[in-house]
Amino acid sequence: MGDILGLVGKRLGLGLIILLIISIIIFFMVELLPGDIAQAVLGQGATEDNLRALRKEMGLDQPAIVRYLGWLRGAVVFDFGNSIVTGESVAHTIGERFLNTLFLATYAAVIAVPVSITLGIIVALLRNSIFDRVANVVTLSFISSPEFFLGYILILYFSVNWGMFPAIASLSDDMTLIELLERTFLPALTLVLVVMAHMMRMTRAAIINLLSSPYIEMARLKGAPPWKVIVKHALPNAWAPIINVVALNLAYLITGVVLVEVVFVYPGIGQALVDAVSKRDFPVVQASCLIFAATFILLNLAADVGAILTNPRLRHPK
Amino acid sequence: MTWFVIGYYTVLLAASCLAAYFNKRQIFLPLFSLTLVSFVLGIVGGTGALQFVAIGAGLLALAAMISYGFREFLIVLTSDEMAKELRTAPLTAAFGMFVIFTYAVMGIFAPLIAPHGEAEVIASAFAPADENMLLGADQLGRDMFSRIVYGTRNSVGLALTATLLAFILGALAGLLAATKGGWFDQLMGRVADVIMSIPSLIFALLMLSIFGPHIHVIIIAVAVIYAPRVFRLTRAVAGNIVVMDYIEAAKLRGEGTWYLIRREILPNSTAPLIAEFGLEFCFVFLLVAGLSFLGLGIQPPTADWGSMVRENATLISFGDITPLIPAAAIALLTVAVNFVVDWMLWRSAGLKET
Repeated sequence: MGDILGLVGKRLGLGLIILLIISIIIFFMVELLPGDIAQAVLGQGATEDNLRALRKEMGLDQPAIVRYLGWLRGAVVFDFGNSIVTGESVAHTIGERFLNTLFLATYAAVIAVPVSITLGIIVALLRNSIFDRVANVVTLSFISSPEFFLGYILILYFSVNWGMFPAIASLSDDMTLIELLERTFLPALTLVLVVMAHMMRMTRAAIINLLSSPYIEMARLKGAPPWKVIVKHALPNAWAPIINVVALNLAYLITGVVLVEVVFVYPGIGQALVDAVSKRDFPVVQASCLIFAATFILLNLAADVGAILTNPRLRHPK
Repeated sequence: MTWFVIGYYTVLLAASCLAAYFNKRQIFLPLFSLTLVSFVLGIVGGTGALQFVAIGAGLLALAAMISYGFREFLIVLTSDEMAKELRTAPLTAAFGMFVIFTYAVMGIFAPLIAPHGEAEVIASAFAPADENMLLGADQLGRDMFSRIVYGTRNSVGLALTATLLAFILGALAGLLAATKGGWFDQLMGRVADVIMSIPSLIFALLMLSIFGPHIHVIIIAVAVIYAPRVFRLTRAVAGNIVVMDYIEAAKLRGEGTWYLIRREILPNSTAPLIAEFGLEFCFVFLLVAGLSFLGLGIQPPTADWGSMVRENATLISFGDITPLIPAAAIALLTVAVNFVVDWMLWRSAGLKET
């Protein structure tokens, strides 16, 4: 057991280092600006006094390293300073939106994961049949469509033509869970379609890869019934790739959510990021980028740890 | 019962009977299941649902015919060697090639095809379609159709340039890392790890917020984001080749790194690299489309598919599908490239088992 803990600990440590490097990249990229942030915010027409005042307010008179350490210390306790545009605290603006985004992503994942894994396994078992070919073309088209295309098609049919679900996912505090689920159904469905296509294809590839291994053939040759081959022989080894597929796609969900939030005007962190980018509100951009990157790394870590836990071969590296 | 419904079932049943009579199981099964599904659909959805199915099937048949024709056309045109390869192409790949060909023609000859200029205001905002404007006007009264045609050139051109840059950077680094090994290999691997652990869209947004949405910033940002992916693949492919005996022999002959890359490794890794280029193009194209949808792509008044969708999105709430045409154009090209890449992978990597 200590062996596993050591391996997992090592993986977590590596993830932490990568996160640290990314925070450095995110922070110091802003330093690459010609001039500095104050110049960029105030524009060409800024007077020297205004510039000096803003620099002092943002602490730009200190060296970059000091500011970075301060920023990092704040980031650990979820304090990212104040927005340049509105002057409000970034954590306040982003915090609630981040929860909304998590809710949307979870909603999509809860639907997408079981359905796509089941479908992926079925398709893998029926490979090279007409069903498999059709599934291949359909999933490929979903993967190839930009998220906003799927989103608008869903809006066109489900809300404009058939009037079943609202097109704009505005939230308020006093909504019941059912209402909430109905309001956010279309954005969640868009995410489900995209992620499901990815997950189905990856599950199919993993299962086919597994089914072509010699020990499965052996099980078949010795006359084990087909369901037993799948459940007893294939499935225990299939967990590792399936966990991997799920975690990778949840990580993918994190980026897909940005475009979907903009299409459905959903009050999530993705939309906050896009707004901040067009207004050049750097503290908000840095904070949201860091949160996205951290979630992404966390999910990738989960994939690795899951693989280590389910695959004994990884526990004893040569 | 209208004539359409009677004709619909007659055609389906007759075709299934014919397929059954000639023992074509492959054709009979889908046809007959379609007939059964149509019974249910006809009862539930009425004539409308049947018409929808008929139009869908007609479009599919049309696409299949076009792809078949295009494949035969290519086989006749090309040399024997190529023709032999092309005969193995499935219809989906032929369809993909046809779509890519059409887009190329549309992009290159845009000024000749488009009836109006790309930023020319010719009508009132959101004017409906008439004989002068095939698809109506956009939010500023510019011809939608002309802008879509020009958009081919701008959107695809931008994505292609960015992919090329990413590919050159990534492939060069990968080849060098594979041949040189040592610290260079290690360093490049770590850099790629770090860049790939940031979600691509987020990284692109970060760079665009800092340097502003200019075309060269987009190209460089995309190149930086996607070069590591190309690097990984090239490194893996070249890594398998570097350990071959003929590389050893060339090294003993005293050939330099550059010669090894150019004359020994590259010719042996073209097939997977070309397939990777196609895949990479799809990712880049979708990323750039997403950025321009967010208003951070090519800036107006230049026509660009992603931003056209966003600008005209209000029309969708009136049930008009015109704003979706540029988005569909993006999806169609990506699907087409994917079809061709699928075929290439199948051909080159011996994925015939799957």
